[in-house]
Amino acid sequence: MTTSPFVKLDGVAKRWNGQLGVEGITLDIPEGSFTALLGPSGCGKSTTLRLLAGLELPDEGKILIDTKDVTTSAASDRNLSMVFQSYALFPHLSVAENVVFGLKVRRVPKKERLEKLHRALEITGLLGLEDRKPGELSGGQRQRVALARAIVAGQRLCLMDEPLSNLDAKLRNAVRKDIKKLQRELGITVVYVTHDQTEAMSMADTVVLMKDGHIQQVGSPEDLYSRPNNTFVAEFVGAPPMALFQSSVLEGFGEDKTIGIRAENIQIVPRGEGRMRCTVNESEFLGAETLIGLDHAGAEGLCVLKPGLSLMAEGNEIDIMFSDENLHVFDAVGQRMVG
Amino acid sequence: MKSLTKFMDSFGAILLAIIWISPLLFAFWAATHSTSDAVNLNLFSPWTLENFRVAWAGAPWLKYFINTFMLVTVILIGQFVLTTLAGFAFAQLQFPGKDYVFILVLMQLFILPEVLIVENYAMISRLGLFDTILGVGMPYMASAFGIFLMRQAFKGVPIELHEAARIEGCGLLGILWRVYVPLAKPTYLAYALVSVSTHWNNFLWPLIVTNSPETRPLTVGLSIFGAPENGVDISIISAATLMSVAPLLIAFLIFQRQFVQAFLRAGIK
Repeated sequence: MTTSPFVKLDGVAKRWNGQLGVEGITLDIPEGSFTALLGPSGCGKSTTLRLLAGLELPDEGKILIDTKDVTTSAASDRNLSMVFQSYALFPHLSVAENVVFGLKVRRVPKKERLEKLHRALEITGLLGLEDRKPGELSGGQRQRVALARAIVAGQRLCLMDEPLSNLDAKLRNAVRKDIKKLQRELGITVVYVTHDQTEAMSMADTVVLMKDGHIQQVGSPEDLYSRPNNTFVAEFVGAPPMALFQSSVLEGFGEDKTIGIRAENIQIVPRGEGRMRCTVNESEFLGAETLIGLDHAGAEGLCVLKPGLSLMAEGNEIDIMFSDENLHVFDAVGQRMVG
Repeated sequence: MKSLTKFMDSFGAILLAIIWISPLLFAFWAATHSTSDAVNLNLFSPWTLENFRVAWAGAPWLKYFINTFMLVTVILIGQFVLTTLAGFAFAQLQFPGKDYVFILVLMQLFILPEVLIVENYAMISRLGLFDTILGVGMPYMASAFGIFLMRQAFKGVPIELHEAARIEGCGLLGILWRVYVPLAKPTYLAYALVSVSTHWNNFLWPLIVTNSPETRPLTVGLSIFGAPENGVDISIISAATLMSVAPLLIAFLIFQRQFVQAFLRAGIK
């Protein structure tokens, strides 16, 4: 293992006419890893990816790929591939021509081109569709053509900009696994932009959560889930999101703090034995479990998971219990407090 | 009421079509009959191809055809090159003063070409292109209409395709050639149709810059052939006219469907 990261962003900033794009992005991405840039729309994750791709140039900071400074290099000189949200397949070219487009531009000899084409189509399961035009393919097939084009040249870095957002839910799950498998087998480094936290959590080794152009937290999915840096991370990651309430609701935590707790750490207990009394405001049957939403003055998004089908009538008052070790404590401005 | 409107619609369309085609029909009638029969509209008079033979022998038509063909080809090639490059620059490149330059180009649309005839004439002479096919075609190559059309077509190309090509290693001209031009094919076809038919029929400018049968296009040749000082024979002039419009007419009849589709596709995308 080398010590220097494969991709390095150092204090990168990009502003649009004085408006904030991204600010102070510092990030190390090791070779062969799967990094997800996660965040709500407009948080700057796509901008970060475009800066990395060379489609935009940063106003500040440095970008290094494979120890080379590529801050101002052209996109074509960065030795990377990209999968676009809309797939960006050339509608006038067949599947095969689309896949080898880059090889042709870079004047790879025809024999080598055909070999690489065959391999890429084999990996993505597109053999037999070589002569179709993108317009004659289904959404999932187009997506795979875009993937084939991204891997055909054997670039070590692949950028993906919400590649699954145009697929239906079922297909999305299947392709998610395919992409992860592909990345493992080829050993390529993937930087993946998504607004869907399930996608990020299930695929990535490292999740970079962003908001308003700033990185909120970098860490493994478990880290983000079980040790959120601030209330934004706590609320963004996990389904259902973490419930937050004011510390004044509980004894022994003082004022003006925020306390967070996950649904799975809350139990419903007989009346009079709990730490909080709440009102049921909704019951949602999810299949394996039932999600029960609770109302409490001073708390937001409080809910409990009960196994199986166990709907509760709205308006019921119940007591809940939880232990201190499962609580996440944030200070007045929402930053995590040690412990 | 509704059926009346419908009737008026078709009636109007048929009436317009008849008015439109009647000169052509008359020319066809006149060309295939002797002069006196043609003028008297004698329906039972015998048909003849004699007029065509006389007309063909009366002028170097083959040379005129070749000249016109060369002329529209040269203009079309020049227009494709210039409007592609200019349209691409206006659609996708950033340069200072872009909007002003584009407005200047559009203003060219308001200027009748005839207004510039004297200036163009002087310019062509200075370039030493007087009485050459290139000289006839040159003033039309940087077509404002074409630049506008290409700009619109290129603007309709999704930016992701441009970016994907950039990442795949294309330079600017490579992107233009491999992405924009193929995607604008319907627009090119539609524009080619307009350009070819316009310049096939163009008369005033070629009349002024050409001076010899070596460069004269069909329209100018035809007008000289039919000039009153040669004596007006309506049948023979009709025959010559039919000959000069025939290639375009036949091409239109054959490719009618593609023509209409090209315009539709260029419009809709």
